[in-house]
Amino acid sequence: MTMPTESTARPPRSSRYYRPRRPISWFALILGLIGGIAGGLYVAWVAAPVEEVDTAPWQLNSQGRADYTVAVMLAYSQDSDLNKAVTRLLELRIDGDPIQHVADTACNLARTGYVAEPGGDTAIRAMMTFYQLQGRTGCADQVMPAVPQASPTPNLLIAATPTLPPPPTKTNTPDGGTSTDGGVTPTPTVRVAPTVAPQQAFAIVRQERFCDADFPGIIEIYVQETGGAPLAGQRVRAKWNDGESVFVTGVKPGRGADYADFSMTPDISYTVEMPGLSDPSDVMISSGCFDATGAQTQSSYRVVFRPAF
Amino acid sequence: MLRFLVSLLLGAILGLVIGLYLGWVQFPVQFVNSPMSALDPKYRDEYTVMIAQGFQADADAVGAIQRLRVLGVENVPEYVFQEAERYITNSRSPLEIQALIALSEGLGRTSPLFDQYRPVGVP
Repeated sequence: MTMPTESTARPPRSSRYYRPRRPISWFALILGLIGGIAGGLYVAWVAAPVEEVDTAPWQLNSQGRADYTVAVMLAYSQDSDLNKAVTRLLELRIDGDPIQHVADTACNLARTGYVAEPGGDTAIRAMMTFYQLQGRTGCADQVMPAVPQASPTPNLLIAATPTLPPPPTKTNTPDGGTSTDGGVTPTPTVRVAPTVAPQQAFAIVRQERFCDADFPGIIEIYVQETGGAPLAGQRVRAKWNDGESVFVTGVKPGRGADYADFSMTPDISYTVEMPGLSDPSDVMISSGCFDATGAQTQSSYRVVFRPAF
Repeated sequence: MLRFLVSLLLGAILGLVIGLYLGWVQFPVQFVNSPMSALDPKYRDEYTVMIAQGFQADADAVGAIQRLRVLGVENVPEYVFQEAERYITNSRSPLEIQALIALSEGLGRTSPLFDQYRPVGVP
């Protein structure tokens, strides 16, 4: 019995010497991959970053964010569209309450020289109006001086129609127009009773914008007695750029004897009035909004007419 | 050794491509503290319209110029005029066009194109 010599000994079948050699080294590949990714990120983030061409409001510096907030408030002061204003403020990605952000920004601006810049005072007051209406407060309330109240204009000066002076009284006057002491006789001052300005029979006691997906883009009109009792059969006229429509209250089933409504086309300006009985309302424009449930719809208006006196 | 070097090079090229994609496309550098002059054109337009609406409310031309200067615009009246014409050409919202027209005319620039967008007076 002979033992096998060393030269004829074979490695076991599972040995790596029996496996075919792979064309790549996994270790080197992963090493290169890690190095390559690191190099690529360095180039992309440090050496040659993307060019800044699409800066959004949230990326602005503090001064830019304040300027943008001011612009949103100025637009709000013109259109009174709360949804749009808040949506625009959200583009600043504010942490917390966007309306309080307006109060804080107004506070910061009021404490700086911004208030003395052209339009600065107007801008801060627009911001104050916005946040005060939403129940917020800020230091601008104390910092900004109160708006001086205009002195009331006497009604005597706003007579709608000129009143002719009464004919002069036939009074004998001395010849030469001189008084006995040789001086000129002063002309007596003629006091004319002012004409009362014409009054309209009805006035708009309430005009408000609201957002309700169940009533999109309409003008709800109510004509009531002084105490709120409904007035049926009252003519109401809606006017827009190139047309008008007259309708009466009390013909809409289930909506009350004082009710009438009118459908608005988005982005068209409307006014309503009682022909010959009232002044026209402020301009109303239906635009996109979100109601209390978050549903997107068109804004509507509610106008209430009552006797003026 | 050659196998090792080839693998390393292959991995490095692949990694570089992945790194550039991640850095430029997937997770690009996001700038903060940018000035108003760097605003995206979409937001520049929106800002300009908001300032124009503010002018409609307060009729403060000097204030409007001051507010638009932060965009880095040299000639504000010309810029507003061009914006108004561009909005008309692109049939943008009539309300926005009216605001821009009001500001442009408030700054002394008008155009026959503006006529059809003037708000109709309410009796």
